[in-house]
Amino acid sequence: MPKHIASGLKYLAAVKLKDAGKSHQEIADELDVDRSTISHYLNGRNLSWNSIDVARTIIDLTPRDFLRMAEAIFDEPEQSRKIVNICRERNFEAIVEDSCIGCGLCVNACTMKAIKLESLKAHADSIQCCGCQLCSDECPTNSIKILEI
Amino acid sequence: MIRNLKEVKDNNFDITRSAEEVRNLSFNDHVCLGCGICESTCPVEAITINAVAIDSRVGFETYFSGHDKISQNIKEAPDIQRVSIDESKCVLCGMCSGLCPVDALVLTIDGTPIKEIEAYPHYNAFSEIDDDECIYCKRCEVACPRDAIVIERILPDRADLVTGEISVDDEECIYCGVCQELCPAEAIVVDQVTGEESIVIDKDKCVYCLVCKKACPTNAIKAICRACNYGEYDLDPAKAAVKGNSVIDPELCVYCGWCEGVCPTDAAKVKKPFEGSIEIDDEKCQACGACVDICQCNALAFPVSSGPGSRMEHVIAYNDYCVRCKACANACPNDAITVKRTAVDHTPINSTTWKEALDAIKD
Repeated sequence: MPKHIASGLKYLAAVKLKDAGKSHQEIADELDVDRSTISHYLNGRNLSWNSIDVARTIIDLTPRDFLRMAEAIFDEPEQSRKIVNICRERNFEAIVEDSCIGCGLCVNACTMKAIKLESLKAHADSIQCCGCQLCSDECPTNSIKILEI
Repeated sequence: MIRNLKEVKDNNFDITRSAEEVRNLSFNDHVCLGCGICESTCPVEAITINAVAIDSRVGFETYFSGHDKISQNIKEAPDIQRVSIDESKCVLCGMCSGLCPVDALVLTIDGTPIKEIEAYPHYNAFSEIDDDECIYCKRCEVACPRDAIVIERILPDRADLVTGEISVDDEECIYCGVCQELCPAEAIVVDQVTGEESIVIDKDKCVYCLVCKKACPTNAIKAICRACNYGEYDLDPAKAAVKGNSVIDPELCVYCGWCEGVCPTDAAKVKKPFEGSIEIDDEKCQACGACVDICQCNALAFPVSSGPGSRMEHVIAYNDYCVRCKACANACPNDAITVKRTAVDHTPINSTTWKEALDAIKD
């Protein structure tokens, strides 16, 4: 079953990338799938509409649940990160306030690898942020604010 | 993410976090001053300072330094870790390590101490002994309150300082051994075994004092001292000089300035991390000695007794040798000590919170 749902998520990602104007080959490279599979997906020949429904439900979960589900479905963290980035419908702005002490807990917590430590302060890349707020939960000084935009 | 805290012997501790990077915080109890800067700066309040000082009048009343001044009656000198840490609260941010004026708390990131990472603040403090000026007198080694200085002295050969001529007339010598017994430099060896008699003089050891010549019952020893005979004679200054090495252990040095103070030349130089002053209120001081006990710089002392029966009424402070760590002020049960930190000299830093923490060290 997880494999079916993984295909469902890949199908939805492929459709999104297609809408963004990517070619079949580019989509195949991005999702690490055969070009022919992508062509099947985009021509409506997918595994099952049920799995796509489940995938849609997963995407609509709260950002953290979506991320956790994706992590559980895909073996490679790199792949779940890609799927979450392509499929998520919501965008966020991550702000690190000056009260940051540079402990690096958020860097470890961020599954999307959106946070880097520079000159004793965390710097968050809002483009990569999936809104899970795992970082702000970890932050000992409550310095990270995640806003939906 | 793996976290673990292990108790290490001698009251030290060690916390590790392994994830993207490996962070490790270690505490070295014998280096700790008990200043409490770590406790007051820890952003998650994970550190408690327990540094202890003992009332030297009674020997068993103990003053715990820190915000609560508790006195406890205990029979023996307490073996208490100067600083304890709540591992569940510690986030390994390294603020305690960055602000520790000595190397008692050390945070390493992937094995590199933060004192070697540019982004972290460093105190501009140093201590050094200039080998060109040093005469290896060892005054600093004796004065150093933390035994951080090791002076290795290489002495010139005695033969390069005193020269002369000495010889034994084998015809006259009766191998009695009087010269060997008298020789202050242990330069003469006489073998008295019948049939195999011999006398050997080690010219490297001989100082040409002529004691042997004067004592010899048969006048067999012929010797002259060049210094006595010819007056001042030229020595090879390179050979006659005292050489050596001086080493300051950077882990133990607290920049107290004793070495600079006692140095007869200008070889020892110390720059302290904090500028400031120390004062003792003689009205309040009860001369309990808790401050003398806790001070790692020997900057506090009982005055020399002014005779039998005189009572020591208060402790005196050497302002020049105080590092402004405030361990004494924390330990004093009578609030008699005022330590002021007027300036903290550190490298520039970008982070606002770290800057605030460094500013908070100042009074």
